[in-house]
Amino acid sequence: MRDVTIGQYYPSGSLVHRADPRFKLIIMLLYLVMVFFCDSFFSFGFLTFFLIVTIIMSRVPPLKVLRGLRFIIIIVLITTVLMMIFYVDDGSEPLAEWGIFHIYLGGIYASIKLAWRLLLLILMPTLLTLTSTPTELCDGLESLLSPLKKLHFPVHELALIMSIALRLVPTLIEETDKIMNAQKARGAQFESKNPFKKIKAMLPVLIPLFVSSFRRADDLADAMDSRCYRGAKGRTRMNKLRCHIGDILALLAWCAIFVCILFLNYNWFGWEFITLLGV
Amino acid sequence: MIKVERLSYVYSPKTPFTTQALFDVNLEISDGDFFGIIGSTGAGKSTLVSHFNALTRVQKKSGTVLVDDIDLSAKKLDFKKLRSKVGMVFQYPEHQLFDDTVEKDVRFGPKNLGASTEEQYALAKQAIELVGLDYDGIKDRSPFELSGGQKRRVALAGVIAMKPEVLILDEPTAGLDPVGKRDIMELIVRIKSVCPTVVMISHNMDEIARYCNKIAVMSRGRVVGVFTPRELFGSREKLEEGNVRLPLVTEIASRLCEVADIPHDVLTEDELLEAIVKAVENA
Amino acid sequence: MPLLEFKNVDYAYPSGDSDFIQALCAASLSVERGEFVALVGCNGSGKSTLARLANGLLLPDRGDVLVDGMTTVDKANLYEIRKKIGVVFQNPDNQMVTTIVEDDIAFGPENLGLPPAEIRERVDWALRCVGMSEHAKSGPFRLSGGQKQRIAIAGVLAIKPELMILDEATGMLDPDGRREVMEVVKRLNREEGRAVIMITHFMEEAAEADRIIILNGGKVVADGGRELFKTPEVFTTAGLDLPLPVRLSSALRARGIDVGNPINIDEFVAAAAARIKGEAIPQQIIDNNEKDGGAEEVGGQKDNALDTENAVEEENAEGAENADGEEGRDD
Repeated sequence: MRDVTIGQYYPSGSLVHRADPRFKLIIMLLYLVMVFFCDSFFSFGFLTFFLIVTIIMSRVPPLKVLRGLRFIIIIVLITTVLMMIFYVDDGSEPLAEWGIFHIYLGGIYASIKLAWRLLLLILMPTLLTLTSTPTELCDGLESLLSPLKKLHFPVHELALIMSIALRLVPTLIEETDKIMNAQKARGAQFESKNPFKKIKAMLPVLIPLFVSSFRRADDLADAMDSRCYRGAKGRTRMNKLRCHIGDILALLAWCAIFVCILFLNYNWFGWEFITLLGV
Repeated sequence: MIKVERLSYVYSPKTPFTTQALFDVNLEISDGDFFGIIGSTGAGKSTLVSHFNALTRVQKKSGTVLVDDIDLSAKKLDFKKLRSKVGMVFQYPEHQLFDDTVEKDVRFGPKNLGASTEEQYALAKQAIELVGLDYDGIKDRSPFELSGGQKRRVALAGVIAMKPEVLILDEPTAGLDPVGKRDIMELIVRIKSVCPTVVMISHNMDEIARYCNKIAVMSRGRVVGVFTPRELFGSREKLEEGNVRLPLVTEIASRLCEVADIPHDVLTEDELLEAIVKAVENA
Repeated sequence: MPLLEFKNVDYAYPSGDSDFIQALCAASLSVERGEFVALVGCNGSGKSTLARLANGLLLPDRGDVLVDGMTTVDKANLYEIRKKIGVVFQNPDNQMVTTIVEDDIAFGPENLGLPPAEIRERVDWALRCVGMSEHAKSGPFRLSGGQKQRIAIAGVLAIKPELMILDEATGMLDPDGRREVMEVVKRLNREEGRAVIMITHFMEEAAEADRIIILNGGKVVADGGRELFKTPEVFTTAGLDLPLPVRLSSALRARGIDVGNPINIDEFVAAAAARIKGEAIPQQIIDNNEKDGGAEEVGGQKDNALDTENAVEEENAEGAENADGEEGRDD
């Protein structure tokens, strides 16, 4: 349970690791937008190529990155299958049909694209968390959002809350597991079809979990106070965010990729080779 | 009786990240044993005992676990029957208390096992009294406002109320002060009169040496051996093989036996004292 | 001026709806720079409350807590006080703020507003002190309890406090973890010269300290050097065990065999071996229980120690009373 990949930093000291988290966050946003602009298999392939290049540059074992898919792969499969069997293309003959289910060629294409899109959407954030520590990400976010401070928006506190949450979630998952086992040993049964009963059955887990979460929160607050925490006031950082020329180049490169994707999508100049690629 | 044969266990199997927690474990715990399990953190102790009441299921082709006549490697299991037979007390059991009164919390187990309301009350009363708490004084109090030691007793009562024949304890004295430790150990001895078989995981060698009649030594997922206390703590090879620390009295004895005629497998303070007195008188 | 001083401190916390539990009752003590103090007492004796009062996490109901002369009641002092007094708590899982070890250790110095280069230096230094340099980039989940607790110590150490309070920091660890932490703490005291208050109920750990303070029912019932082991009653009435070597040597003395006053296993083995072979027992082991022997006295502590003998006698009776009182409440 404890190896939920998101939030599991994999140190390798690569270029990607050393990049400024602010740039990484911006590039990821840009990338996510790009995924939605991808329309043809070629553009998916094009974007996937650069994703793979980034993964190779990060020197994170590809298996580690793929592991980020473990919890989501079922959802991807189900949506893909649903898409495939419910897709209706009035303009063409179905390839196969069983009762209300039809499979069209267009349906197969659409569902492959859907699956591909979902995978691309998940892999990049996974890579981001593998190559950046939560502190870096929070710092990056804090810095990107800092203009909001002028509006009295609690940017620092928000970033800190995120960091602590990332730190404690695996601990709480582990704890839930322990308490569930303990109650099972006392004959508790959590499997029930009636949702109301199910919630009631969960109480022996939820209550101890709340009690311990509050205790942890108290402990953590004491530990933070003891270590001279006074909010954002007068606080400095060990790793000051500094952008290097490489960060800017990377951002420019991704902007160029974005433009290419837009071209592939909209084909503003009506170039023929793009229409040929446009399945 | 619990019989473990060729038991292996693998975490997250069929992924590149598997870790094997148990390797080919064989073990037999007889009725009436006070059975100790020792080994460093990560040796597989908790994984092993969590098989005994099927919180961890025996994996396919990974050996068998028998509790009396129940085969835990069977696909279909009568969990109620098994869990009324094998009670499990986890580390810091007071962290599982949840109900608004002590009595309700203690009744939780019997209720889950399908006992009638009268039975539930009777079992709760017996259990609370057995753990040395005043039933009438405590039954309507919230478990959350009790002292640490009392909470642990209530948690123990919650398991005992299920009338188990085997009680498994994972470090029952962790986090308690010396008096609390002694009280809980004495309590366990008392419980043993109604629940004849006790299995205890502990890091405290003094407790293990003092209370257990058999000790399984685990190391890196394997059972190195099952010994009586004297066999184990008296044998340097066995200790080194299992990476076992000596009880303090035994450590003193084993260091003194190099200079004097003192047995090296001393297990209690009194034995050590007598041995030193004798050695001085002889000298 | 003592580094930490409690003057007649009372503290009660609410329990249930209307009850209060008197956690500390007229507690007075003082700790000097460089001292290694063990604060012992059974659960509910007020030990942890004392740790939280020392750096202003809790404020006294009555009396004064002074750190280097500054009172914790004045909020303006708290920041300075917490720079001087670091606290390591019991649960190793609840003290880490971030998911990466070195970021977590940086948390304290960052709060001090130090320049990045100095923070880096302190983090590296603190990691070296606790012997965890190779885990700088790890997350907490692959670390053992003892390692996590060493990280927590490093996190406090990076603030460079003059006094470190370890509030049952070994209570949840296995024997290996306990030993790791104890080694680190001893080294910090001996080599770095930091004062340490080790709150514990493991008497073998307490025996390593230069000075022992016993709490029972919120009262300081004894405060002194190793000579306290001469009066085992102060420990037993407070619900504590004596360290095994002390128990054995006094049992041997009752049987007419004098092995001096060993307080740890090494000393006991040496003394018993000497006695059996008919050789002289090393002077240092005999001297352990003498006020001026063994332990080094620091600054004004000597006066303190001289008072203890009488104080112990008096407070002993009080302690016994109090123990009864506490039992009454428990039931």
